[in-house]
Amino acid sequence: MKFKAFLTEHGVGLLEKRFLPALDKMGKICHLFLTRDHAIFLHNLLNGDGVQCIAQFRKQALFDDYRISSQNEDRIAFAIDVSLLLRAVRSSVSICTEFGNGPTANRLQIKLVKKLPLNCTQPMPFLTFETKGYKSAVVQDVPISKPLSRAEVLELQTALDLAQDLPPTLVQVPDLSHLQNFVERMKHVGDLLNVSISKYGDLHVQISTTLITLGAEFRKLLVIGEQAEAPSDDRNLSAQTRSERAISRGDAQRVQVSVKHFSRSLQCHLAKPDCTFYGIALQGSCLTVIFQFFIPGTHQTDKSISLHCRLPVLDPGSN
Amino acid sequence: MTSSAVEAEAPDLVCQLDSVHGMVDALSAVRWKRHQDAVVELSEHGLVVILEDTGCLQAKVYLQRELFVRYEYNAEGRPRFGVSLGLFVDCLNSFSVPGRSSTIEIQYPGPDMQLLLKSVDSHDVCIYAEIRTRIPDTISWDYHFEPAGSTPLTFTVKSAALKEAMDDLEWPGSSIEIIVQPDPPCVTFKGEGHGDLQIDFTYYVNTDLVLAFHCDHQVSYRYKYKFLRAITSNLPSSVIKDNRGSKLSIGRGGMLKVQHLVSVARAAASHTHNDSASHQQPSRIAYIEFFVKSVVDEVN
Repeated sequence: MKFKAFLTEHGVGLLEKRFLPALDKMGKICHLFLTRDHAIFLHNLLNGDGVQCIAQFRKQALFDDYRISSQNEDRIAFAIDVSLLLRAVRSSVSICTEFGNGPTANRLQIKLVKKLPLNCTQPMPFLTFETKGYKSAVVQDVPISKPLSRAEVLELQTALDLAQDLPPTLVQVPDLSHLQNFVERMKHVGDLLNVSISKYGDLHVQISTTLITLGAEFRKLLVIGEQAEAPSDDRNLSAQTRSERAISRGDAQRVQVSVKHFSRSLQCHLAKPDCTFYGIALQGSCLTVIFQFFIPGTHQTDKSISLHCRLPVLDPGSN
Repeated sequence: MTSSAVEAEAPDLVCQLDSVHGMVDALSAVRWKRHQDAVVELSEHGLVVILEDTGCLQAKVYLQRELFVRYEYNAEGRPRFGVSLGLFVDCLNSFSVPGRSSTIEIQYPGPDMQLLLKSVDSHDVCIYAEIRTRIPDTISWDYHFEPAGSTPLTFTVKSAALKEAMDDLEWPGSSIEIIVQPDPPCVTFKGEGHGDLQIDFTYYVNTDLVLAFHCDHQVSYRYKYKFLRAITSNLPSSVIKDNRGSKLSIGRGGMLKVQHLVSVARAAASHTHNDSASHQQPSRIAYIEFFVKSVVDEVN
């Protein structure tokens, strides 16, 4: 099992400034899944009921001279502490900028190693960052879990495949910071958030407790996928009635999620996506948030990067 | 009053406010503990939000009709309802967007006696809330403030200095004695508990801190620190920044009355508080009053 690659400057920028800060907010530990063509950061895919978050990069988006080999179709996966990874990348960057000199001087190599730490009898796996400065070389070892077994990798791959389904209707939220600001304040009022999304391009979020109902409706959003014309007599209704009617017509779906999960998924804005879409999966199995990235300077989707979250739906009956 | 066919159906109050942030500030100033039940009283002059604690402390926030861009009052008498202050403030806060002024409409009562709020700036984004109200307790609000003598006994201290003094008095804690004496004109806050601490505001010496002083005979009263603390514990940062004076008066029986002014001007584009803007809108001030009962009768 071998993995060795050089992070490109662009790749370092993506990880250090955007993706790792976002992924750090999603949870302390994530899986890093490396294949022949992709590096994928996965939160909560194998275990638990938290927000699933999947950030997938084509190897060219982050690395050059990418070498991977394993007996499991060249696939390697392990768990890693995102904050440690972020710290290692950050300090490597500072070393590069401080001492870097010439195009080859500041190359940042990462590789998978086994080392015998102090006071240990067994060698432990690490992801090692090696930065060669002008006069010095700095090596940082980020501890990782034992690489996942063949069965676990298969399980991870299956979970990843299952998490790729697209909701039939997606609405684009134009102002993520507005939504985030609202949800942050909403957190004080209650724990459960009702989210409904209609084919007319309405996104309606609402917290309802015995003492208060607080909600926001975003209308006339861009719709991707199944869409419908909003009935004209809906215009003067209240947001709640409008949602109810759309659901009864089969033009909208509603799910209940945790406000904390919703707010956490909004932290992905740290990755600086160009567009954000919300959708409810078929049968209301989860709430999906898809972040889209453009090739810099264009309005074309950068297919080498993808990021999406899946929020577990809470069963209102079970709580 | 406009008369129309729907007037009989009209709610007691429909009003619009373009400075949610200011209202949040004003109401936060009286949020001295986590769970508080407020009584809201409506009238043609505006809204009064009243809070009370164990018969020793009362606070009132006066939101006059001039603060609202629209104020339609249709009720007879003065309707009152109870509401959780924390919930009301948290809910109002959801309507305020940083760096943007947002207009909200407040209506009472809704079809189920709720307090209804909704944003009215945009057709494509609507924030709304329904807060359940309750019938207020029929307790007597026994906080009649009467001047003790012919001359009112008052002094005005810069709000920031008052807050600082209150915070410092936390160390001795328990009960705080306030002594006001005419010669030399001086206000003393004296704490005895875990230790002794005395803070003097001398009128002629600290003219930049003590803005006004009226006293013709020495008085001295004790107050529980936990109630005294409430008068500045949640003073919004805008009050500290504006640093107008807070006026304190002592009435019959040592009843302490504290008045603060909170600017409810429309949020400026930036976070910095624009002094000239608040001066241009003198009516856009919310008045806050605290009444604190003294612990025992006059010591001297």
